[in-house]
This record gives sequence, structure tokens and C-alpha cells, in this order.
Amino acid sequence: MSMSAWIVVGDQPDVGNLVTVARSLGGPVGAVVAGPRSVADTVAGAGLDKVVWCSAPDDVPAEASAPAVADVVAADPPRVILAGRNPGERVLLGAAAARLKAAVLTGARSVAFDGDDVVVVNAVFGDIAEETVAVTGPVALLLDGGSVPSADGASTPIEEVSAPPLGLKVIETRTHGFDEANLSAAHRVIGVGRGLKAREDLALIEELASAADAEIACSRPVAEGLNWMGKDRYIGSSGARIAPRLYFAIGISGQLQHMVGVTGAETIVAINADPNAAIFKQTDYGLVGDLYQLVPAITAALK
Amino acid sequence: MRIVVAYKWTCDPEEATARADGTVDWSRAKPGLSAYDPVAIEVARQFADEAGAELIGVTAGGKGVASPLAAKAALGRGLDRVVTVEDESLADAGRSELAAVLAEVIRHIGDVDLIITGDSSVDVAAKMVPTVLAGELGWPAVAEVTSITGQAGALRVERAIPGGVQLLEISGPAVLAAAADAAAPRVPGMKDLLAAGKKPAELLELAALKVPPPNAVMTVTGRAVPEHKPRQGQLIDTADPAEAAAELVSALRQAGAL
Amino acid sequence: MDFELTDEQQLIREAVREFAETEVTPIAAELDRDHRFPRELLPRLAEMNLMGMPYPEKEGGAGADYVSYVISIEELSRACASTAVIVSAHTSLATWPIFKFGTQAQKDQYLNDMASGRRLGAFALTEPAAGTDAGAGTATATMHADGYALNGSKMFITNAPYADVYVAFAKTDPERGTRGMSAFIVEKDTPGFSVGEAEHKLGIRGSSTPPVYFSDCRVPRDALLGGEGDGFKIAMATLDGGRIGIAAQALGIAQAALDASVAYAKERVQFGKPIATLQAIQWMIADMATEIDAARLLVYRAASCVDNGRPYSTEGAMAKLFASEVATRVAGKAIQIHGGYGYTESYPVERNYRDAKITEIYEGTSEVQRMVIARSTLR
Repeated sequence: MSMSAWIVVGDQPDVGNLVTVARSLGGPVGAVVAGPRSVADTVAGAGLDKVVWCSAPDDVPAEASAPAVADVVAADPPRVILAGRNPGERVLLGAAAARLKAAVLTGARSVAFDGDDVVVVNAVFGDIAEETVAVTGPVALLLDGGSVPSADGASTPIEEVSAPPLGLKVIETRTHGFDEANLSAAHRVIGVGRGLKAREDLALIEELASAADAEIACSRPVAEGLNWMGKDRYIGSSGARIAPRLYFAIGISGQLQHMVGVTGAETIVAINADPNAAIFKQTDYGLVGDLYQLVPAITAALK
Repeated sequence: MRIVVAYKWTCDPEEATARADGTVDWSRAKPGLSAYDPVAIEVARQFADEAGAELIGVTAGGKGVASPLAAKAALGRGLDRVVTVEDESLADAGRSELAAVLAEVIRHIGDVDLIITGDSSVDVAAKMVPTVLAGELGWPAVAEVTSITGQAGALRVERAIPGGVQLLEISGPAVLAAAADAAAPRVPGMKDLLAAGKKPAELLELAALKVPPPNAVMTVTGRAVPEHKPRQGQLIDTADPAEAAAELVSALRQAGAL
Repeated sequence: MDFELTDEQQLIREAVREFAETEVTPIAAELDRDHRFPRELLPRLAEMNLMGMPYPEKEGGAGADYVSYVISIEELSRACASTAVIVSAHTSLATWPIFKFGTQAQKDQYLNDMASGRRLGAFALTEPAAGTDAGAGTATATMHADGYALNGSKMFITNAPYADVYVAFAKTDPERGTRGMSAFIVEKDTPGFSVGEAEHKLGIRGSSTPPVYFSDCRVPRDALLGGEGDGFKIAMATLDGGRIGIAAQALGIAQAALDASVAYAKERVQFGKPIATLQAIQWMIADMATEIDAARLLVYRAASCVDNGRPYSTEGAMAKLFASEVATRVAGKAIQIHGGYGYTESYPVERNYRDAKITEIYEGTSEVQRMVIARSTLR
């Protein structure tokens, strides 16, 4: 059976959306996994036609199996290769794209066949515009992930291959003590920006998050310059993109670079002290005022 | 040791506007070094100084990327020399086409031990050119890199992962994408800027590189302004925080968001 | 005629702007409020090669052209007029006379340190009773066996007491008026040299301008800069160049006031619309922008004369006269555009307004500039 689409996976098993898109194109869909065996097991429950696992020693990161992944894909060349927006997946996808001399698109809103062409509607330049792109030949796509629904049927059997990995080894791993984020699965997300004056004030936000059963995220300066939370909580054009039911932007000005990450949200609420903040043009509900008064009031109203 | 920084000379989409027909108006935008490239050059310069390495800047693109102004802007930030490709056909090049051109430039330079790039480009932000480039060269690629030490053949690289930091050892040449906050780029001094014009800038002809053609051709067949979900834009009076909170929570519950 | 900046000049503007926005703007209001001299900026300015821009690299400078130097003062001034004058007084008033008139021994001793920013300079000409009438100075320099003894007091000396090197003017022959004046290089720890109390000013409050006193201050023979009796000519020649730096300072102040006004006018809503939509405001902005552009052309033209080895005395006078009066006018309009808020410390335009005024006064009042221009025009 030759694959129409390959999904390339590293350490991140959230391929639900990738499988949906690949299936919509018709034809057999396979996944090649270069991460731990547990990731391969999760992916095998996604109802794929083929799952290949590139095994490697424990101290070898997924990136080291890039040539092995490219080998698997090249042995059975598809029209479409897909991967999720994660650093490891991008490396694996890049290796496969290079091997196939495929085109690469990273802003796909929709993918479909039109005759011999793959037609992708691709968002460009911080999502200010959209291009419909017809691609002859193979195309590699980066898409948002999405959890794999738990397997109720049989898992796809996993074929194990092992190829010599690139000379890349993990010497040490240090945790920074921030909780790992799970933004893509969250129904409600609260984003924090520079309107928050001090790190201690995160306690206010945490109370709101707890009352609303929401995950906490942030704009770039908070994750990087201020380093108040893990970088996996940064939402924006080169960070996470989410489409929750509710996105609550607190002390965020609404710059293009951040808002690009949440345009898919069903409902957007914002609190900002500046009535002229760009964000108020992009919200369903806006509250101009002092977050230090409004956030506790909302937390109380939720209880 | 020979280190290459791949940089981009381009405009910031914050200064662009989309027309109603979906085309983009760049007329008010001024090109410059892509926002995170000075971070990459700073990381590279610090490591090159430590390792006694030569630091070469490389770029490929459409009209203007190899102009004296662009070259001096990059050189002034701490590169020893630059090697560039400027060709109109590259103005709308896709990620893998650019990566293929860069791979040939790297082969032309020869004996490159390390390629460092910025986190992402300010305009496209695909984060794919470094990884496809690595694929073309058969080298390992790592992103979110926060620190580079060691020597050619034995690089020690720190990279951010969800939950923390990992220390990796890389035994051969590699492509490393520096995290956006990996270093605070120094502001170029006056002497650095004035010396920039005297550093070597080599311009390569695209045709002479004999870049193998891609297997896929992309054609733009339509353009549009994306239909953003229309937002209600309702402002809630915040004179009384408790009332505002009640109103908001009620509206959100009705909308099914809570 | 090419009105475009060279690549280097553009890159220099961007770099100085980046430096100014990152390291100077954040402290500008505090320097003004606390009348504080930004000592911590001196090593950073030196690292950026901003303290001796127009001097050759082999003398410790950046080897930049004068237009680039003037751009650097403009960009620093846009962030903080006090910081800008610290640099221009050091570069144009203190370092220049040593570069131009110093003996090789004097240059070996001082020039590299000053052009590289390791040592800070000051220019001590003005006296309590001798401002515009600089020739009426009463400070004396009496010859002695091993040198000169300086006696007298100087006022409004920019960069004292932080400066290490003072180019000071005193009469070796009081009978001969301006022709009896000589220039000396005096180091700060010389016995008999002291600095008075800080002067509290309307503006440029981060610039330190106390009086300095010479009380039987003994300097060696080789502290004489130029020949005996050359002092007045040295002072006037120095001020000819220095005024281009002040013109650039005025330009930066005006630009800051305009930038603030444009941002405010777009945000401030009255009668349901941003005030930027009102013609009254638009016309004010148009006038401000045009005057600033005209000032910029005069300032860069004067700097360009320096670069091309052409006479620049009249051109410098025109630039300084025009740019300083534009700065005052534009800063006043900026407050008007900001309305009540512009009158408070919450907005930077009141500081621009207070800073602007001095540019019409020091390094040659507007009246002196008019004299220079009239003399040249009526020749």
C-alpha cells in the first residue's frame, strides 16, 4: 500500500488534527515516529494505515533520527507530508522535505486536491492576507496539532526500523520548575501581557484560571524578557496557536504578532487600561479598566 | 573553525497593509535585518570569539538583499565577511527553494563547521528554512538554542524544551536556530559600522550555483483578505467592577464560553 | 545635489537611536527631575565610540564624518538633551582645540584619552561678567619660573566637576584685550583649581554646569595651548564648530517634541474623533514638520561644509540660529497640542520646552549668530 500522506512525529503525539486533514485528502495515511515508543503507541491509536517507529538509544533526541525519517518517507513518497508546530517536528519535516525536494507551506488553512494539484489556502505575513497556492509535486505542511482521541478499535501495528542516528546526544536535562502547558487541549485560556506589573501578581491570574478552569498563557515579552512562565505558554506568530472556546486577554495590547495565535478562538474577552489599545478592535467583550480590580471581581463572580 | 550565520534582509509585516483584493502593500515598510537575526549574530560572535573561529554571514533573496546597505548592516553587527546571492527570481521563493540555494552557498564556502540562524524571520516566521537546509546538508538541526560552547566536532548546545533546558553534545557540523532571547544583541559601535564597508562582501551568481530544481512548483492562483471571525466589539461599562464582572460572566455563560 | 544620507550615516543614525532608546530614554526624566549628571553613561558612550566621533581612529576617535557626528548628537538629544550636550561640549569644545592647536606632546598626552572617551573634557571661557563679550574676561595667567599661575573664576562650565581636562582661557597680557588672551590645558586635580556649587537651571538639568575657580592655580609652561595671545582666536574658532553641535541638539529636541505630538494627536479623542483629524492640529503639525526639516537641512549642510573643507562659520551660525528658534517654537506648540496634559510631568513635552530655550543662548546667543550672518551677508 503506498501512502498518499505521511505524518511525521517526534516527541509530540498530538496528531489528531493532522490525521483529520490527511484523511480528508483521501488515500492511505501513514505516520513515522522518531520519538519515544510511548509516542508511537499513542499515534498507533489514531486509526492510520501504517505506523513506522524509528527506534534509537534513549539518550538520542528525536532530531537525530531525521535522516531515518526522511528514508522512510522517501521509500514511499507521498504527495503530502504533515507535521505539528513543534521544534522537533519541524526538524524531521525539514529533512523529509529536503529529501523529496518538496514545497513547504506553514500557514495552511485548508488543503485539498484539485486535479493533479494540491491546493492550499495559506495565511501569509502574520495572517494579514491569504494566498491560494496550487502545488505540483510533493508538499510539506506544518499544521496545528490536536489530541488523538483514545483508541477504541485496534491499534495500527508498529513497524520498527532502526537506522544510525546523527551524532546528537542528550547529556543532561534540567527542569525549570514551570508546569508544562497544555494549551491546545484547553477550552479556556487566559493570556497575560505586560499590563501585569509584577511576577507576584500572577497569583491573581492563577485564581481566575482556577475559578474558570482555564490554562494560563502569555505574550512574548512575558515568556522571554520577563521569564515569568515557560516559553511553551507563549502564544503568537512563532509560538502556540490556539482555538479555544474562550480566550481572555489580560493586560495585552493586541499586537498582530500575538493576536495571530488566537484568531481561531470562539470568544475573545480583553481587559486593558488603555482605551486605545489595538486589542479592543479584536474582542467580543472588552473591559477598559484596571485589571487589579476587574480580575478579582470576575473571579468572585465565577465562584 | 568556520561558522556561518544565515540572515535575512526583509520588511516587517507590522508596516504592511493588506488591500481589499488580498494583495499586500509594502510601500510604507523599510527593509532591515530580520528582527531575531541580531540575536543569532550575537550568539555566533560570542562563540566565534571563544573558539577563535571565522564568522561568515550568508543570505539569499530578491532585489536589495545584497545591497551595500544590507551587507554593512549585517557586517556592522559583528560578522567577518558576507557571502550573498541576490536574484529577482528569489523574491517569492518558498522555504525549500531558499534552503536549497543556501545549501549551495554553504558548499561553495566549504569547510563550514556550524550554521546559526535566528529563531524565525520577521515576515514569514515559518521556522523551516534552517531545518530544510540541515536536511539538504545531511546535518543535525536543533532549534530553541540558548547557548553554544565547545569546538568543531564537539559542540555543547543548550536548548529550551517544554519544562526546562537540555544540554546536547553534537559530534559534527550542525544547523542551530538561536532562541529569540538567547542573547541581548549589542548595539553596533560607530567604529564597527564604519569598518563594515571595508569587510569582504562576496556576491554569487544564482545560475553559477547550479541549484538542483525542486520537485514541486507553487503557483499563487488567488489572494484574499482572510475572513477573520467577526467580533462583537461590545464594551462593558467598568465603573463598578462587581457589576461589570457579573455582566461579563452572564454574557459568557449565555454564549457557551463558560 | 544628493540629499540622501550615505549607508554609513543611515546605519549610524539607527545605531545611535537604538542605543539612545535602550539606555538613555529610560533615565531621561529622572536625570531632569533629580538634576543628576549621568555618570554611568560615560563608559557606555565611550564603548559606542560616541565621545570623539569626528577624530581620526589613530587619535582614538571613530573616524566618522561630521555629518555622522551631528546625526549622533541629534539622536542622543532626541532621547535626552542633557546627554547630548555632555557629548558635544566634550567633543567639539574641549577635544577640538587640542586636536587643532595642540603640540605633538599635548596631543600625545590628551588627545587619545579624550577622543576615545576615557577622559572627559570641558571648555572654560565664560565668566560672570564676560558672556557674549568674551573678550572682557578678567581671568589672568601670570608667567612664573616653572609655568603660569591662573587666577579668576569661570561660570556655567559644562561637564565640571566630572571633567578631567579643562581648556581654560585667561589673559597673559590684560592690557591687550582680546589679543592678550591665551588658552591653557588644566587637569582637574591641579592645586588651585576648584569647582563651585551646582547651578540649578530651567532645563538640561542632567548637564552639570557649575562655576570653576582658579586661585593661584599653577600649570606648567607646556600647558599653554597655541601661542601667547592666541587664546581668543582659538576660542572663537572652537565655538564656530561647537555651534553646529548645539544646532544638532536643538534639532533632536524639536524632533522629540514633534514625535510626541504626532502620537498624542492620533490617540487623544475629543468630540468623538482623534484630534489629529482636526485641521487646527494638522496645520500645527505641518508647520512643525516643515520647520524641523528646514532646520535639519541647514544643520547637515553646515556639517557637510566641515567635511568638504569649506568655510562653515556663517553656515554654522545660520544652522544654530534657525534650529534653536525652531526648537523653542516647536516645543511650545507641542505643549499646546497636548493641552493640559502637556503641562504636566507625565508627558515629556514640558521637558523639551525647558530644554529648548538654552539652545538660543549658549555657544553664542542668537544675537551673536545674527551678527555673524549679517557681517557675512553685508560684506
